[in-house]
Amino acid sequence: MSSSPNTLFFRIETVHDVSSARRKGLMLAMDMGFQTADATKIAVVISELGRNIVSYAGKGTITVLSQAGDNSRKYIKIIADDRGPGIKNLNQVLDGGYTTSGGMGLGVSGSRKLMDEFNIRTGEGEGTTITALKWL
Amino acid sequence: MYFSGIQKLDNLLLVSVPRDLVDDEVIQLRRDVLQAIRQFKSQIVLLDFSQVDICDSFFGRFIYGTSQMTKLMGAKVIISGLQDAVIETMVELGMTLPDVDAVLDLDDALELTSRMFKRNGKLGGADADNEAMPDDDDKVLAK
Repeated sequence: MSSSPNTLFFRIETVHDVSSARRKGLMLAMDMGFQTADATKIAVVISELGRNIVSYAGKGTITVLSQAGDNSRKYIKIIADDRGPGIKNLNQVLDGGYTTSGGMGLGVSGSRKLMDEFNIRTGEGEGTTITALKWL
Repeated sequence: MYFSGIQKLDNLLLVSVPRDLVDDEVIQLRRDVLQAIRQFKSQIVLLDFSQVDICDSFFGRFIYGTSQMTKLMGAKVIISGLQDAVIETMVELGMTLPDVDAVLDLDDALELTSRMFKRNGKLGGADADNEAMPDDDDKVLAK
């Protein structure tokens, strides 16, 4: 992991990487002043998106950006990026309950509910980039 | 590092779930629980989550799966100690864990199980479960 004051960067290949990323994301959110429930949501979104990278793409990255300056509204942005197969049935995935990995199918749909802004860029064979933001 | 915090208390199995378990440790914990149920002939398994501050969908599946497997062994899972932030996150994520009974903390869990045994001598079937369950106000995620 490398980091600057406002950025945490994680290479994601195993569930251990996911565990480390979510723990550090939780600490960052708490340090920024997020309430515990919101910090927990940020950590869980990192976990869900990280798990998807491990399950579907094998490897990828998660970047956690924080805007914590005095003059602008604070936020945390999570960017989960992989070069895997992409999401084929995006609408079903967004509806929730759809899975091809044996999970609960809540990763993407649930993460969207936990965050304030949520964007997906994906295409078959083109990988997936999910950007999720939570305002303080 | 995985540490199996499983204790036998009479007919109960008290399982203190550590935080930050990774997937293979979660699966190992479940296997240890099932083995302990058989070894001690436990009738109730208290899964205490008071140390857990991040609960994602994999973890939710662990709770639900453990509850189902325990049922097939003739025992019952009660979960306790879920933190407010964890509960809010789980429910908003979509994990409502139907059929899994919960109490607020370990004290409530011990009181409940004590009542269950007092009424029934031993934990009986579904009727015994229902009679001994706490009022709705006492439940956290129970359906």
